[in-house]
Amino acid sequence: MKSDHEVLIIGSGASGGMVAHELTRKGIKCLMLDAGPSVDFDRHRTLKHVYDLPYRGFGRPGRFPHVTQATEFNANVWADETQNPYTYDPADPYYWVRVRLVGGKTLFWGRASWRLSDYEFRGKDHDGFGDNWPVRYQDLAPYYDRVEPMFRVSGRKEGLPQLPDGIFLEDNSPDSQAVERFVASARRMRIPTTKQRRATGELASSVNLLLPEALATGNLTIVSNAIAREITTDRSTGLANGVHFVDRRSKQDYWVGARVVVVGASCLESTRLLLNSGLANSSGALGHYLFDQIYVKNIVTCIVPEARGGRPPRGLTGGGGYVVRFRNLETREKKFLRGYSFDFGSGGTPHPRYFPLYGEALQKELADTAGAAFGMTCMGEVLPRYENHVRINKDVTDAWGIPVLHIQQKYGENEYEMAKDARSVAEELCRGAGFEVLASHAQMVPPGESIHELGACRMGDNPRTSVLNQFQQTHDIRNLFVVDGSSFVSGGCQNPTLTILALAMRSSEYLAEQMRTRAI
Amino acid sequence: MPMKRRQAIQSLVGIPAVAAMPLPAAADATTPRVAVETPKTPVSVADAVAGGLPRFFSAEELAALGRLAEILLPAHGVAPGAGQVGVAEFLDFLVSQSPPKRAALYRDGLAKLNAEARRRYGKTFADLTAEQAEPVLQPLREPWTYHGPSDPFARFLAAAKEDVFTATVNSREWAAAMSRRVRSAGGLGAYWYPIED
Repeated sequence: MKSDHEVLIIGSGASGGMVAHELTRKGIKCLMLDAGPSVDFDRHRTLKHVYDLPYRGFGRPGRFPHVTQATEFNANVWADETQNPYTYDPADPYYWVRVRLVGGKTLFWGRASWRLSDYEFRGKDHDGFGDNWPVRYQDLAPYYDRVEPMFRVSGRKEGLPQLPDGIFLEDNSPDSQAVERFVASARRMRIPTTKQRRATGELASSVNLLLPEALATGNLTIVSNAIAREITTDRSTGLANGVHFVDRRSKQDYWVGARVVVVGASCLESTRLLLNSGLANSSGALGHYLFDQIYVKNIVTCIVPEARGGRPPRGLTGGGGYVVRFRNLETREKKFLRGYSFDFGSGGTPHPRYFPLYGEALQKELADTAGAAFGMTCMGEVLPRYENHVRINKDVTDAWGIPVLHIQQKYGENEYEMAKDARSVAEELCRGAGFEVLASHAQMVPPGESIHELGACRMGDNPRTSVLNQFQQTHDIRNLFVVDGSSFVSGGCQNPTLTILALAMRSSEYLAEQMRTRAI
Repeated sequence: MPMKRRQAIQSLVGIPAVAAMPLPAAADATTPRVAVETPKTPVSVADAVAGGLPRFFSAEELAALGRLAEILLPAHGVAPGAGQVGVAEFLDFLVSQSPPKRAALYRDGLAKLNAEARRRYGKTFADLTAEQAEPVLQPLREPWTYHGPSDPFARFLAAAKEDVFTATVNSREWAAAMSRRVRSAGGLGAYWYPIED
């Protein structure tokens, strides 16, 4: 072999980066493949005025039909949709948002960092739906404790069982009057709120927090532009023995061997790779139980009346926070299971679309409400269901000849009812704070758009109904691991990255020990 | 893997990579150095020096769009209006590059604007006063809904309102006029070049 690695890691984002970080410091040599090129922030990024862009900030029309996050500034960081196609039933569109760069989506993530709780890990025990995770909160807590300082998570401790506290950079910043009023309104409705919990620092990515330390051990080699085509197995043992990959630019094919293969290529890419390899699917569950989180963006848009006039005084507006899940904890809703949360923020000017005006009247209104906006976005739990699934579409291949995914996910009654409830609660919270409700709605974004796709390669104690065990090791092949969000059994309404990192760290410890004892 | 150019040159002359790096400590301080920095030539964009040449809409459609833009976003204080920042010409370009759905929305919408103007006043929309245009633009007085209006003409007006607004506040002229008053004027942002290697 040209390389002396033992572990082959596919993907360099949150999960792949964490596995490399943990294994290399234990002296295990790793080879990492990433499908994309490596970013050089000095060379690839510059400051520009929007009027110097060819499409004046509109972006090239039709370039990203499924990436609402793409702007003309950042268009070049998203995976090209024509080179990387996928299919769905036109009646159920799926918005698959991908970043194919070393560091993956951690280069650009929103950084929200919430722990899951036993309301998620033991969800079935609580309300009878779905399945429990093969881990409990207490199993994962020590790893959350280690991940939060690495990612410099800021936050405020609240002592809430549904949103466990962590090791935070304590956020004791004062709230604006608008936020105080909103928080008081929530308190009157017995709905908990807290500060945002976010990874801080100029960059909070695999490329600055995980990969540099791993590389410094001398035990990691990263190959960029290496698109995994298929995981191969040894015919006599059935164990994974390497990976076929293709160079993104030249399209030359390669094969590289390994003692252990760890897949962290993102929820849907990892699932696609396993399906294309025909592996780890004795359960028939591979590809199934795909879910994400509902997002109702700008579920309510308000005006803080006292801030009208164009220049709100200092301290009146600004800042924001988070409404913690409160539904279906002690009591039970009739129309839906599980719960939702909100992000809220004060400041900015409402979008002109919300005013039924034009011309001079619109301009006056915009000037009057400058800085006076208050907005909320809802994030809600999606129930994992067998019928929401991905499969290989053999009729369509990507630019490298690899068969693509057909994605079938749609929201059901539970999600629609949850969104409706969230809208009325959001309005009530804002009215209780004395805000003018300018617009509200309950329209969820299409599945996938939250970029919180989860499941499809789920963990479980039972090999007949799940793909991975509690250490993200495939039930079928003991030297094959899948460490990203595809392993989730359920997702709550919390942003998943912190849990992805904690799980990958825990699995890495297990893997290192298994390798040490030669069990793998 | 193909050898990189620098590696190839190094292998040709048979020196290790580190030896190819400059060694400032070894150089005589009095020896004039050859400048190693290559010039970066400042350039401008076409939009800064020239007006867009409309090629998509007919003269009558373009005139209607220009008038609509003026009415939707007139000059306000020091802020220039849509009519002063070439919005109609820009939207001609944008719509020409857009998927057919948007092109049809605009074409049909502009036709309806002119038809309504003729029906009510016997002239094209471009010749209407803002007051005369008011009943034609009545759909813009309807409250906002997430899915927008179902009537195609109302949808066109809603789209035009947003597009005219964005094209205006993202223009060079608007930024120049407003930069002292609005911190975000000119929309300075982190732009990503294509990432290839």
